Amino acid sequence: MSNKFFFTRLQYESGNWDVDQRMPSNLLNSLVEYTTLAVDTRENIIPLASDDIFECPFCYISGHKLVQFTKKERENFEKYVRNGGFVFADDCNHDIDGLFAKSFERQMDDIFGTGTLKKIPNDHELYSIFFEFEDGPPTTSQELNGWGDDLVHEYLKAIEIDGRIGVLYSNKDYGCEWDYDFRNKRWYKIDNTRFGVNIVMYALTS
Amino acid sequence: MAIYTKDEAKRIMEKAMSFSTADACEINMNGSESGNIRYARNTVSTSGHRSNQNLSIQSSFGKKSGTATIDEFDDVSLEKVVRRAEELAKLSPENPEFMEPLGPQSYDDSISYNEETANITPEYRANVASSSIDPATMNEVTAAGFFNDSSGFSAMMNSNGLFAYNKSTDSDFTVTMRTNDGTGSGWVSRDFNDITKFDASEASKIAMEKALMSKEAKAIEPGRYTVILEPAASADLLRNMFGSFDSRRADEGRSFMSKDGGNKLGQKIVDERVNIWSDPLHPEVPTATWNGEGQPLKKMSWIENGVVKNLSYSRYWAEQKGVSPVPYPSNFIMEGGSASLEDLIKDTKKGILVTRLWYIRSVDPQTLLYTGLTRDGTFYIENGKIKHPVKNFRFNESPIIMLNNLETLGKQVRMNGDLIPYMKVRDFTFTSLSDAV
Repeated sequence: MSNKFFFTRLQYESGNWDVDQRMPSNLLNSLVEYTTLAVDTRENIIPLASDDIFECPFCYISGHKLVQFTKKERENFEKYVRNGGFVFADDCNHDIDGLFAKSFERQMDDIFGTGTLKKIPNDHELYSIFFEFEDGPPTTSQELNGWGDDLVHEYLKAIEIDGRIGVLYSNKDYGCEWDYDFRNKRWYKIDNTRFGVNIVMYALTS
Repeated sequence: MAIYTKDEAKRIMEKAMSFSTADACEINMNGSESGNIRYARNTVSTSGHRSNQNLSIQSSFGKKSGTATIDEFDDVSLEKVVRRAEELAKLSPENPEFMEPLGPQSYDDSISYNEETANITPEYRANVASSSIDPATMNEVTAAGFFNDSSGFSAMMNSNGLFAYNKSTDSDFTVTMRTNDGTGSGWVSRDFNDITKFDASEASKIAMEKALMSKEAKAIEPGRYTVILEPAASADLLRNMFGSFDSRRADEGRSFMSKDGGNKLGQKIVDERVNIWSDPLHPEVPTATWNGEGQPLKKMSWIENGVVKNLSYSRYWAEQKGVSPVPYPSNFIMEGGSASLEDLIKDTKKGILVTRLWYIRSVDPQTLLYTGLTRDGTFYIENGKIKHPVKNFRFNESPIIMLNNLETLGKQVRMNGDLIPYMKVRDFTFTSLSDAV
């Protein structure tokens, strides 16, 4: 294995896993730009049912349809997380708590027990490990549409294993927020993928 | 009649100037004749004619200026208004950015006046209304529209010998059509200097068809979509972008054109196919050949192959920066392509056709991020065909990002005095659904 950080996306049988396809390149760019981390700029895509997952320090799972793990997927997910792996799960539904959110949360209840997926406080280490996010998770344009009719999830949830986050779960659609043509990144006043840097740094150092 | 010939206007302004005792005097004069008709609920509600004239004097002593206006042009009135402006000037604080009036200038002959437009009759306006109301009534649709036409002149003279005169005509039309069951809406807008280019029936038909087609829209999930933007949809976003083409706001760090230590002049900001210029003598969008400061307006490039070519410099800011003034343009012309709306739809695998964006508000001036709503006909396209109407969306988008995500440019259309092409753009961000019809 290379010593470089690599971004892994998990494929799963149910629903759709192939969303926000340009997101990883924007996040990887930020890691290169802001940190001294050695980065593999290619996205690594593996089936959750494959044992390759046990080689990955960081996994991303998203979609906006049903999440219903197969037996092998479920076993791998649980084993990976319990053994110290890190999964960032992000609901790709805009605006509402969609099917992915509901079914993924149910799936976590099934695997780790009801109520283990908990809100994390907005002063959690995750929000200060690299960049400072005083108010907790940054909002997305899907949430902040400028008119006060906003549906903002002002917290993230997580499953902690031995005091450390094993599954970080966002209902905010960061994937789509960070999914844009790379050339347009220069027009954002504040690089919106900075929170992604925090997530990766937390996954690698905690 | 409120429209004065060049000689008549000049004579009145010279008379007023003869009363001036100020260090500098600038006179602006204008007049117009306009007619309108308004209809709603398939019935004409108002129609009228306006005739107006105005003369404005700006007198300056040193850097102190005062302005007074009047609409009577006999000698006593002219002297009265000049004295009033001078009194006000003496009472005013100094303007540190005061600029001496320009000397004599030479201007191109404008083509902004059209005799047919000037001769529009009340019968013509009534026909415009019936072109909407008759087909709407027959199709269980309700029309609400407004048509306004005007002809007028403006003239300028100052104590440094400048004289400018221009005659122009204009017409504006908008109509909203709503299906009687309240679930469908269509809209169209037209404006021309030359009324012979206007076809009220054709325009009304489009609005009506959009209303009928947009009945019972389905909700689809917000997100990033490939969109076909009709010129009316992109016009306001683009015009907001043009608003950043001012060097002072850029240099002072107050706009999208700001950059550390200067502005974005010479920088590539959008797709290489984007070319935007202004031209007061363009036959489709003619304007006066001089601006309110008496500066000549010429053809001018603003974006060339995606690169910022010019920013406007007021006379004051140009002096501060040691450059020549660049007047802000009176129109914008964006180069288009050959594709028609039908071509753009035919070549779209999955996308959304947007008739119009409205209620646009600024979210972040530094990145030109805007929010607003789609309206009056939003349709889902699949495999080259309009499949069904969709519920309206709220969008969050920047015209800069939009022009970086350009896929295809279509034909140009005149829109509020500018020429804007149809555009196909990928990744247009719709953030939520709107219940508005």
